[in-house]
Amino acid sequence: MTNARVGIIGIGQSEFKARREDANYPELVREAVALALKNAGRELDDMEAVVYSLAPDALLGIGNAERLGVDAVGARNKRFMRINTGGATGLSSVAVAHSHVASGACDIVLAAGGDKVGESGDSQTILNKIWDPTYERQLPLGTITMLAMSAVRAMHKYGLTEEDMARVTVKNRANASLNPKAHLRKKVTIEDVFASRYIAWPIKLLDACPQSSGGCAVVLASERYIKENRLEAVWITGVAHCSESYFIGDRMGNNYVADHADAHALGESFERSYRMAGIKDPAKEVHVAELYAPFSNTEFHAVEAAGLAPIGKSMAMLREGQFHIGSRTAVNPSGGTLCTNAIAVSAMVRVAEAALQVWGRAGAHQQPGAKIAAASGNGGDHQFFGTMVIEA
Amino acid sequence: MQFTTVVAVVGSAIHAPRDAKQRSLEEAMYAVAKAALVDAGVSTDDLDGIVVGANDQLDGRAISIMMASGSVGGVGRDILSTPSAAEHAFVLGAMRIATGQYRTQLVAAWSPIEVTSIPDALKLGTDPYFHRALPLDELSAAALQANALEHAVPGLREAAVGIAVKNRNNGALAYPDRAPAPLEKAWITAGKVLHWPLTEGMVSPPAYGLVALVLADAAFVKERGLSAPAWIHGMGWATEPGFLGDRDLSTAPALVEATQQAYRAAGIKDPGKSFQVAQVSDTTPYQELLAYEGLGLCKREQWLQAQESGRFAAGSSLPVNPSGGALSFNPVYCAGLVSIAEAANQVRGQAGHHQQKDVRRALAHAASGFAMQYQTVVVMGSSELRS
Repeated sequence: MTNARVGIIGIGQSEFKARREDANYPELVREAVALALKNAGRELDDMEAVVYSLAPDALLGIGNAERLGVDAVGARNKRFMRINTGGATGLSSVAVAHSHVASGACDIVLAAGGDKVGESGDSQTILNKIWDPTYERQLPLGTITMLAMSAVRAMHKYGLTEEDMARVTVKNRANASLNPKAHLRKKVTIEDVFASRYIAWPIKLLDACPQSSGGCAVVLASERYIKENRLEAVWITGVAHCSESYFIGDRMGNNYVADHADAHALGESFERSYRMAGIKDPAKEVHVAELYAPFSNTEFHAVEAAGLAPIGKSMAMLREGQFHIGSRTAVNPSGGTLCTNAIAVSAMVRVAEAALQVWGRAGAHQQPGAKIAAASGNGGDHQFFGTMVIEA
Repeated sequence: MQFTTVVAVVGSAIHAPRDAKQRSLEEAMYAVAKAALVDAGVSTDDLDGIVVGANDQLDGRAISIMMASGSVGGVGRDILSTPSAAEHAFVLGAMRIATGQYRTQLVAAWSPIEVTSIPDALKLGTDPYFHRALPLDELSAAALQANALEHAVPGLREAAVGIAVKNRNNGALAYPDRAPAPLEKAWITAGKVLHWPLTEGMVSPPAYGLVALVLADAAFVKERGLSAPAWIHGMGWATEPGFLGDRDLSTAPALVEATQQAYRAAGIKDPGKSFQVAQVSDTTPYQELLAYEGLGLCKREQWLQAQESGRFAAGSSLPVNPSGGALSFNPVYCAGLVSIAEAANQVRGQAGHHQQKDVRRALAHAASGFAMQYQTVVVMGSSELRS
C-alpha cells in the first residue's frame, strides 16, 4: 500500500481537432496547463514538479520535444521528467506524478503534455518504426494492422462480428456527441459504419480513431496539502502497470506466450490496481470506465480485462444494452480514444474523464451516481498497459 | 524532499561490450541487467518494477522502451521509461520504492552508437523554426557553454586542460582494459578543434556502454541480508529552459536548485567536508568546473587554484571522478546514470581499482541535454539516514 492518499485537484483538456494551426506545440500544451491550473485554483509557481507526457517524438518531428515544452509547463528550475510508454504515456505520466506525491518528494505536481498527431503527416508510417528493424519492421505493420489481427483472432475465438464492432462505434460516437471536448462528435449508425471503407479488414474507417491534435493536464496533490488548502479532490486509490512481450509473433502461432485476441497484461494490471484499491468485484463496484480502445474491436477485450465482463461475453452484453451511459457500468462515456486520439495524452484523457465522472462534473455525458471509476492506457505494440482506479 | 520510505542501491553493473559488433543491444541489455541482479544477490523474480532511460533519437526507434522490456525482464512487470534523461530513471525508481507500493526496482540505460550520425540525430532535438538551421548538437552546445565560462573566468582553459589530464589519468587506472584516451597535456591542448574551445583531446568519443542498478527498500535489504547497501540520503533534479538563448550558459541555476533539494533532504550543511568522493558530469572539463560551483564544492574564483593544487585529485580529501568520468569513457545519454552507479559503488566499497578509502558518503551529479539542461544530484551514504 502507498503511504498516503493522492488526490486529483485539477483537470484541463484543450480542444481536440484534426489540426490545431492556431497553436504551436508548446502553446497547445500550455492551453491545457492553464485550464488545469484554473480548475485547481492554483498558479504555476505552486507546482513543485512537472511530469511531461510525450510518446514518440517522431509524431512531432522534434527529438526530445519535451525540452521545448519546459517553459510551456513552467518547469524552469523545477523538478521535471518526461515519460514515454507509447499510447499508455498519458496514464503513466499521471502514475509517475502519483509517485512524486506518494513518495513524500512533493506535495503538488503537474502532469501535462500534448500532441499534434493530426499534423504529423501519416502517423502509421511513423508507428511502423516501433517494430524491431530486423524481424518485424519489414512487414506492413502499423497499429491498425496490428489490432486488425487481434480482431481476426477474436472472431475465430469468440465469434466477434463486424456488427459487434460497429455497435461500439455507434455507442462511442453518440457519447462523444455529448462531450464538447471530443474530436469526432457526429453520431453514426451501424449502416454508416458498414458503408465506410476498409482500412485493414475487419477494421473500417469508422471503426478507427482519428488523428487528433490537442493537450491535457492534470494536477495532483497530497491529502495533507488538499486538506490544508481546503481544496476539492477525487482520489487515486489504485495504480499499476504491466507489460507484454515485444514481438507480435510471440502472441501468435504455436507456443504463443499470450493470445493476441486478449489483453492479458491489461488484465494483470487491472488486478493490481483493484487489489490496491480494495475492489473485489469490479463488475459490481465500478460505475464507469474510460478504457483506452483506439479501434472498436479492442474495446471488447479491454472491457473483459477490466473485469467488467467474463472473457468472450462482452459482445453479447453490449448487444443487451450494457456499457451505455445509465447502464450498470458505462464504458467510454466521453466517446473514448475511438473519437479523440492525441497519442501523447490519450491515456491522460482517460484519467481526466474518469476523474470528472466520479467528481460529478462530466456534464452531458455524466454517468449518474458514479463514485468509482477505472481508467486504462495501452502503449507500444499492445505491449504496455497502465491502469488506475479513481474514487470520489 | 523527505522520502517516507528509505531506499538503497543494492547492486549495479557497468558494461562496456568489447565485441560491440558481435553483440546486439538486446543481448548487451540482458547481460547488464543480469549482472546487476547477480551483484545484488537477487533474481528477476524479486523485481517489482523497472524503469529504463530509453532515447528514441539515438536508438533509431519510435518507442525504444519496447525493445528493452524483454531483455531487462519487463514482460509481466511494471516497466516505465524516462526518455528525458537516463538519470531520471534512477530518480523515478527511487521514488517508486519510496511510495511503499514497490519493494524493488531495476533501473537501466544504454548508449547505442549504431546511429549513422549522432550530431544529426541530436540536431533533430532543436526547435524546427529558429535553431535547426544552426549546427547545434550537444557538443556544439557544450562548446558554447565552455566559451561563456572562459569569458566569465579568464584563464580557465588551463584549468580545463588540467581537469582533462586528471580524469584521463584516473580513467587509465580505473579501467585499464578500456580504449586508452590521450593523457598528455600537450595533446589535449593542441589537438584538432572540434568546436572552439573544445579540442579532440578535451572530449571522449561516444562509446557503447550500458548500466543497470538494483534499488530496494530497507525492509527488503534486511529480509534478504543484502550486504553493503548505498542508502539514498537525498536527491534533487531540475531543468533549465529549452532555448539556449534564454540562459546564461556560464551559470547553472537548475544545478543550484537540484543541489539544494538533495542537500536539504540529506542534511548537508558543509558540502566541502561532507563527502569522501564525488562523481560529476564531465562530458567536457568545463562541465566539471561548473559542477564544483553548483554543488557548493568550490567557488569559481577558486577554480584555477583548486585545479592547480590538486584539491579534487585522486588521493585528496575529496577526489572527483576517480572513475575517469565521461572524459575517459563516454557512453552518451547514459553517462549520468554511470556516474550515479560509480558513486554507489564507492559507498558499497565495490568500486574496484579506483575504490577510495573509508567512503561514508558520496556525491553523484548528472547532467543531460544541451549545455546541461537537466541537472540531477544524488547523495548516498553507507548508513541509513536518521531523520
